[in-house]
Amino acid sequence: MISDIVAIIRDYWLLLLIGQYPNGPLGGLAATLMLSVLAIAFAFPVSIALALARLSKSPFLNWPVTALVYFTRGVPLLMLILWGYFLVPLVTGANVPAFLTMLVTLVVYQGAFLSEVVRGGIVALGHGQMEAARALGHSYLGAMRYVILPQALYNVIPSIISVFVATIKDTTLGYVINVPDLTFAASQINNQLLTQPFQVFFILAAVYYVICWSLSRVAVLTERRITRRRAGTAPQPTAKSLKLAALTDQPS
Amino acid sequence: MNTTVPSNNSPMIQLKGVRKSYGLYEVLKGIDAEVARGEVVVICGPSGSGKSTLIRTVNRLEEIGSGSIVCDGNNIHQPMPARELNLLRSRIGFVFQSFNLFPHLSAIDNIAISPIRVKGVPREAAYAKATQLLERVGLADKAHAYPGQLSGGQQQRVAIARALAMEPPVMLFDEPTSALDPEMVGEVLAVMKGLAADGMTMMCVTHEMGFARDVADRVWFIDQGQIIESAPPDEFFSRPQTTRAQRFLSDLRH
Amino acid sequence: MTSFDLSEILGNPEYVSMLVLGIEMTFIVAIGSWLLAMTLALLLLGLRYAPGPAGNAFVTAYVSYHRNVPTLVQLMLWYFGIFTLMPEGLTFWLNDHNAEATFAVIGLGLCQAAYFSEDLRSGMRAVSPGQMEAARALGHGYVSAMRYVMLPQGVRNALPALINHSVSLFKNSSLAVAIGVAELTYAVKEIENLSFRTFESYLLVTVLYLVFSLMIMAGGAYIARKADPMRSGRA
Repeated sequence: MISDIVAIIRDYWLLLLIGQYPNGPLGGLAATLMLSVLAIAFAFPVSIALALARLSKSPFLNWPVTALVYFTRGVPLLMLILWGYFLVPLVTGANVPAFLTMLVTLVVYQGAFLSEVVRGGIVALGHGQMEAARALGHSYLGAMRYVILPQALYNVIPSIISVFVATIKDTTLGYVINVPDLTFAASQINNQLLTQPFQVFFILAAVYYVICWSLSRVAVLTERRITRRRAGTAPQPTAKSLKLAALTDQPS
Repeated sequence: MNTTVPSNNSPMIQLKGVRKSYGLYEVLKGIDAEVARGEVVVICGPSGSGKSTLIRTVNRLEEIGSGSIVCDGNNIHQPMPARELNLLRSRIGFVFQSFNLFPHLSAIDNIAISPIRVKGVPREAAYAKATQLLERVGLADKAHAYPGQLSGGQQQRVAIARALAMEPPVMLFDEPTSALDPEMVGEVLAVMKGLAADGMTMMCVTHEMGFARDVADRVWFIDQGQIIESAPPDEFFSRPQTTRAQRFLSDLRH
Repeated sequence: MTSFDLSEILGNPEYVSMLVLGIEMTFIVAIGSWLLAMTLALLLLGLRYAPGPAGNAFVTAYVSYHRNVPTLVQLMLWYFGIFTLMPEGLTFWLNDHNAEATFAVIGLGLCQAAYFSEDLRSGMRAVSPGQMEAARALGHGYVSAMRYVMLPQGVRNALPALINHSVSLFKNSSLAVAIGVAELTYAVKEIENLSFRTFESYLLVTVLYLVFSLMIMAGGAYIARKADPMRSGRA
């Protein structure tokens, strides 16, 4: 069994790493990581805008974003990917690579999730900070920019890393629209070998495990660091903070 | 009691028929009062009497239902662009019960950020001023400490310095010592006394009757949303006119 | 493009029966794996508090694996991998008894158990240690203090997280399509293939998912409100 696994890695490591590249699109682990990094990089600014819109008193900003958040919380990502596969080419009018469709879908999905994290971070600061800033004459956006967001975003760094891990795990669903990622590469190998499915999917699971575990560790260590920097004022987890944690820490 | 010479005859703060309700509950039932320039007014009254709400309406942290509030010649509650309100607010110092220092900024950054970002004061000037203010509240050595590393009394002194950095002609204090351990109350009151001695116009909600006796020019007693007594502290403490004030004072003593 | 017309799907008994079967299977997978997950989660929580380091180490490893490997990969490993390593008799039996759905329930249930058990554990940790001390001071034994003082509060604290994760479990039942379970997502792809009504079929199934998820959220919120001693007035 172990020798099988070693043999598969020896024969197929390049395919697992970069897919068919340069004879085809970039695939494998490289595509998985690129997709995840790009998704979170675009989702982050989107999430701040969504969070501010959701906190706004204007129903025109608040309402659509609330609807979007509930939509993404209530509909499986798989359905959203199918929607993306159907809609993105309609909007762009061109033959869009699956990678791009997946990226757009992930930005919308994780942007909405992340916006709840950011909003939670802002709300957790309480009214006092905003009031103090406004009493000193800061405008609403100025107070957000210089007082609220620096604290809120710093406090939610661990959750942002968790969302990043979730994004990496979510990229596996690209499989249904043939995004050439790591999972896709593994099933290609499985189709070629036919006789060793356990070994192939074991390798696949192991690679994801190493990456996601490491990042989760980073999140935990960052959280400890942040707690320490709060100079011993680490609050006990409350029902509210637990609810927030459950939001970012989703199986996928 | 300190005597001050008003620099100008118009009052610093003028409240006219101020009313405010939360739903059916009327918190402020028509407040008419004035604070002269350089005057120190202490507002006291039982909890739930509306004194915190009143002081928060003065810089429009709370909206009012009807009436008007004029502060330093500006009608605070008239409709105005957000930018103008921000500017007005920066000219009214406000000190909170819970300090509300910005925990991600060091003491000196807490003081300097608003002059820089709101008033556009150059960086060096803002920090020079901040250093000076920290000295004034006796915390020059804590300039680079974060709020989490300071005691409650120290945090409140930084918060006072932060408000002073905007160079307001008037300072509002909303129970500035209520969240403090008893041994820290004195250091904050000392800073406030210093301010009063320098001629600052002050409006202060507090339960510290000693402070009221020593520093205030006038005491307003509020009950059920109305100012029912307004008198110099000597008079108020020795000869309260209303039974409600008498009961309040006797409850304090016991 | 033809114009929007839901009756193309809802008026066709064949499609409707596919939808109903899909909903049925989605619920079988979701409820089955929820029950498995909750049972395992309680066992895992018990192991956490068991004396000795072995139980805790096992649960840590269990949780770590199930949280750091994508659920889809876990399902694939079960269905394409572990299934083939099973003894022949068991394989035959499973093939006769909807092996796909069985593995979906096992895979999703085992994965979700990790999340549920962590929710419960955080809920327990959010109970002030003073509660345990107070119970012990009143003469409760460890087990009795756990049973009557700590657990009720811990579960209550964990409720919002458990509800969130129940919703995500329901959503994740759609992953079963990847191992060939004929649930709702499978049904939508079939209907789309047969009817060429992509927009209508996606819309219909999306709304169905959304409605069911919102129902779980609302039901959960109702339970959480009922369980909140501050609101129900039995302090």
